[in-house]
Amino acid sequence: MINDNNVIIHADNVYKNFHKTEVLKGVSLEVKKGEKVVIIGASGSGKSTLLRCLNSLDEATYGEVWLHGKLLTAVDPYLHRDIIALSHTYAAVKERLLQEGVSEDALHDRAIEKIKAEDLLKSNEGAAYKKAIKEFEKANRLDINVARRSMGMVFQNFNLFHNMNVLDNMIYAPVKLKLMTKEDAIEKAKGLLTRINLPDKIDAYPSSLSGGQKQRIAIARSLMMNPEVMLFDEPTSALDPEMVGEVLSLMKELAESGMTMVVVTHEMGFAREVASRVLFVNDGKIAEENTPEEFFSNPKDSRLREFLSKVL
Amino acid sequence: MTTSISAGFFETIALIFSNEKYLLMIWEGLQTTLLISLGAAALGLLLGLLVAIVKISNSKSKWMAVPRFICGVYTTIIRGTPMALQLFILTFVVFAIRGFPTTVTAIIAFGINSGAYVSENIRAGILSVDKGQTEAGRALGLSGAQTMMKIVIPQGMKNVIPAIGNELIALIKETSIVSMVGLFDLTQAAKVLGSGQNLATYFAPMMVVALFYLAIVYLLTWLIKIIEGRLRAGDKR
Repeated sequence: MINDNNVIIHADNVYKNFHKTEVLKGVSLEVKKGEKVVIIGASGSGKSTLLRCLNSLDEATYGEVWLHGKLLTAVDPYLHRDIIALSHTYAAVKERLLQEGVSEDALHDRAIEKIKAEDLLKSNEGAAYKKAIKEFEKANRLDINVARRSMGMVFQNFNLFHNMNVLDNMIYAPVKLKLMTKEDAIEKAKGLLTRINLPDKIDAYPSSLSGGQKQRIAIARSLMMNPEVMLFDEPTSALDPEMVGEVLSLMKELAESGMTMVVVTHEMGFAREVASRVLFVNDGKIAEENTPEEFFSNPKDSRLREFLSKVL
Repeated sequence: MTTSISAGFFETIALIFSNEKYLLMIWEGLQTTLLISLGAAALGLLLGLLVAIVKISNSKSKWMAVPRFICGVYTTIIRGTPMALQLFILTFVVFAIRGFPTTVTAIIAFGINSGAYVSENIRAGILSVDKGQTEAGRALGLSGAQTMMKIVIPQGMKNVIPAIGNELIALIKETSIVSMVGLFDLTQAAKVLGSGQNLATYFAPMMVVALFYLAIVYLLTWLIKIIEGRLRAGDKR
């Protein structure tokens, strides 16, 4: 999985707890280059949390997220059998299984399965185990701030910086992070504003813009970073109905240009038209995953059928 | 009788403003008051911002736990004990060094005191900024500190200015207790002016000094309004 160059995002068995509520309960997801993955689900199902775990705005409690073969989260030892095998617990469990009469050759697998199934790892598992985790991190971990540069994110509430005008909103991050010179950034910003038909808003402050304008500029702001993948968190949910169209058409244009996209949305029409894959998230898990044709015409999950009958 | 008192009042005021010795006394007091107020305000704002940032910092990082604890103790103690007592402790215990200028001690005492109140104001201001602003900054790859300094704090400050203005006004007037540690500020000037060796009447000098305080506070209020208006410029356009 790590060596496949086409895989941009790989989420592996992600769990997310907020205090005591389990919001994500083991979600795995792969996003390939150029794919448009649309995530739908009822509110509270965990779909936004899933999206936010991809760029660690919400940190996964368990599980790992990879970007282009680089680890964004902490190491989850349960995903690495060789690391588990270095733990004190592994030795103890193996010992116990041996006494219970498990045969020698099944011992290793049985011990690891037992540790995984019963969540037996403790915080202190010895020096060799600790060292293995550190080395794995050193070899694979990518600083999250660097990773986020290539993962654009568009929010439900736009989140343009209120204390900056449109131009500064767009150029602040790429200039501050020394990804481009100020002159180049301004040039690029002007180009993007022309592309979204808002060239005259360059000096405007966010408070003077309509919702649709804000969201289009928020998308342009993300594009300033030349992201490899764009994450959309219900980008049209806070908009007046007559402004939904302009944002969706910009997103469609972006999709056609080949951008890799992960979109959480309630816009079924968009999903049908643009998605290469649609996921249905229910109760913290991916309940169904299919091509849009199959997904909408032939849903298998009963909860999805119920959901679709309500929204379509 | 009434006429003679009121005539005496205005005559005394005229005397204060025409006598070089009396004017110098007021000038000296004014200088001390302004020096302590400005120094303490600068120190207080700096300290307040620092403490507010520490208190708001990421609760998960372990090495911030100690600074956060210290800041908590600081605001609790400073806000929980009288200003005069803090001034005494600093003057007669901490900086009880021969030759150490009491004015500096006073600046430090008022700065530390003001910082505790300012930090709470700033903290509230930072928390009033929508969480989405931080998330948008972080999602672009900016660090927590970069997002805080350039996006969150500028927006929070706008909401904090009125409260900080209040705190500065209170600070200026509170410096009137420095005469308790032997400093010659505006209030002390009034007292000395009114004593038997000088005018032998307290009413007029007290009124004159009151007007000075009033003028300083009025000027400050005006300044704060201008600053607030500048910061809110982005809201209106």
